[in-house]
Parts: sequence; C-alpha cells; structure tokens
Amino acid sequence: MGTTVSIELTPDRPDDELRALIADVCGWLHEVDARFSTYKADSEVCRFRRGEITHADLSPDMRHVLDACADLWRDTDGYFDAYATGPLDPSGYVKGWSVEVASARLLAKGSTSHYINAGGDIRMRGHHPDGGPWRVGIRHPWEAGKLSWVLALTDGAVATSGTYERGDHVINPRTGRPAQGLRSVTVVGPDLARADAYATAALAMGEPGTTWLAKQAANGYDSAVVTDDGRAFSSANLPAAV
Amino acid sequence: MRRSTAAAVGTLTGAALIIGVRLSVQPPAAPVAAPPAVDLAGGTPAPKPSTSAAGNKSGKTTAPKPKTGLKDGVYKGKGATNPYGTVQVQIRVEGGEITAAEATYPTTADSATINPPAVAALKQETLGAKTAKDVAAVSGATYTSKSYAESLQAALDAAKA
Repeated sequence: MGTTVSIELTPDRPDDELRALIADVCGWLHEVDARFSTYKADSEVCRFRRGEITHADLSPDMRHVLDACADLWRDTDGYFDAYATGPLDPSGYVKGWSVEVASARLLAKGSTSHYINAGGDIRMRGHHPDGGPWRVGIRHPWEAGKLSWVLALTDGAVATSGTYERGDHVINPRTGRPAQGLRSVTVVGPDLARADAYATAALAMGEPGTTWLAKQAANGYDSAVVTDDGRAFSSANLPAAV
Repeated sequence: MRRSTAAAVGTLTGAALIIGVRLSVQPPAAPVAAPPAVDLAGGTPAPKPSTSAAGNKSGKTTAPKPKTGLKDGVYKGKGATNPYGTVQVQIRVEGGEITAAEATYPTTADSATINPPAVAALKQETLGAKTAKDVAAVSGATYTSKSYAESLQAALDAAKA
C-alpha cells in the first residue's frame, strides 16, 4: 500500500515473544498488501478489475471489503466511494481495516496494550508503557513539526485525512473534481476503518462536512477539523489531553 | 428507513427553530441562577442574575440599561416536548444582547441517536500549534513512504529505536 507502519507494544513479556507478535502483524499486513494492492498486477483487486475473476471467485476477505465499502458508501451519502477515481480502489477502507484486524490479533495473543500507526491512522489499546493513556498528536496542517491537538486515549482509533500531503487530490465523487474547503479532518472512534472512511468522506464534502461530522458524534465518532482558511472545529467529546 | 429518519430530523430542526423564535419574541421572566446545563460559548461568565425578582431593585444593576430590554444573564426557555423528547433552548445575554444560544436535547437511549444531529454542531476554537512533547504517536495525512520519512512519527520512531 506504499505506506509505513509503526508498532509499539507495552513490554509485558520476553523480548523474543514481543518480536514474534510484531512478525505476526507484519505477516498479516503483507498478506493484505498482496491481496488488495492496486499496484501489484497479480493482486486479487487487479485480477477482479480486469475481469479475470468473478464475484463467485472472491476470497472471504475481499467479499468483506466490498460489502463494507458499499455500506460506507451508503452511510456517507456517497462521499466515501471506492470507485471515486474510476476503477475499484478499496485502499481507503483496507488500510484501516487491516490495522483493526492486526490489533485484534495482538489482543487475542494477550497483548492488551499497544498501538499500530499505519500512515497516520492509529489503532490503540490499553495504556502507554508508563501507565497513562496513549497521547496522540494531530499534525498541524501547515507546520509539519507542530500539533494542532493532543488526544489521550486508552482504546480506540484516530484517523486523519488532509489535502496538505497531496494537494487537492481528494476527489469529490459527486462532481469528479478535487474537494475544497477542508484542509485536515481527524475522526476518533471505536473502529479505525470507519473513522478513516468518515475522515475521507468529510474531506470530500468540503465545509458541509463539518455538519455531517457533527451528526456522527452521536454514534461515538468525534472529530477535529481545520478549514482551508485556518479555522478549527471540534466535537464536544473529542478526547483532548489536558 | 434511512429516508424516514432524515424526515424526522428535518421536522425536529424545524421545531427547534420555532422554539428559538418564540424565545426571542418573549424572553422568559425568570432568570436561571444555576449553572447552565450546557456550556454556552464564551469564557467570561455573565453577571449572575438574582434568583429573586423582588430583591432586584432598580438602579442597582451595574450594566447600562440596554435598549433591547433584555437583562444580562443566562436564561432557559420552557422545555418543548415533541415525539422524540424535550428540547430546551438556553441563551446568554450580555450587554443587552444575546451572545450565545444553545439547546439541550434528550439523551435517553431511544432519542439520543435521533436528536443530536438537529442541535449539535462542531464548536469553533483557536487552531493550536503545540510542540510534539510527550506524545506517543502522531496522526496525520501521510500517504507515501516518503512523507512518512519526513513526519513527526518517523522522528518519534527514530528516538525510540
């Protein structure tokens, strides 16, 4: 997927066991990349795109991803669209989902305190090795070395989408044109895949996305937004660190 | 199902607006001394109005008599009950002008998922620019391995390694 994943585990067991946990996560993420990459010609996504395999041939993971993309398309009024740029590209769901699964795998093996950060999208559980909650900074949308918010979480996900990394290249699927209005959207909630999809959808909506995001707070998804002209907004229950 | 939910929300928004109009036409007589149920925007607290109307002698108020006829303080409207619960509007008056208005909404399990969209909004605040001290991870839009290499997260990882 062309991104870098950072993993931090609370050292609650011998070093070789910690390394085995990280190797398991890396193995899973490579498996996901091989199956869902839009760059690898022999990936399941690319073979499905070319019509070499039909829906009946799809793996259970691929079916899950397609179903989830369809659900999110409905839940975001069409603004989260795996076909926004033309051919099927489920990357916007796959990244968050694969990290969500990786974190669940770590938990199943007894690692109750860890975080996984995949390209700025983070799933965390438990506590920082020093005992407190995980403190997560949200990158300032103009100053790469600064943070616009600091959050404190023990269990949950933080996803950020922004136009500052790749210019105006988030496509509004309704117009087919680059989205404008919002510079950075962060969504905090229980599920990373959903949080990431919401952040991408709100960015595609532009400024009306702030109103849409406000409605998601009732479902447990809080948000922090910076507009193109530097105004900042957040939902009432954003878990800001003190 | 989704359509009917949207319709219900639309109706509720309308109801909330009507309450707001009513309130501005006929401000409630009894000021509320208790702390507001919702935090009205604005850091400086308004002068606390007296709870007893009788003890409020004319000429004793420090604020100049505003021409709007509104007295400074925080006021609650009468709760309006609709099929989804009770919505109560609250305003803050400073210098005779309404400086903030908010509405409370029911938070029982049934109504909480329906009502907040009608009254909740993201709050505007000052954009912060904090240093990355004491954070374990950084969330941001890093789409490529190159942008990761230039990110705060990469610097944090390097510091831990």
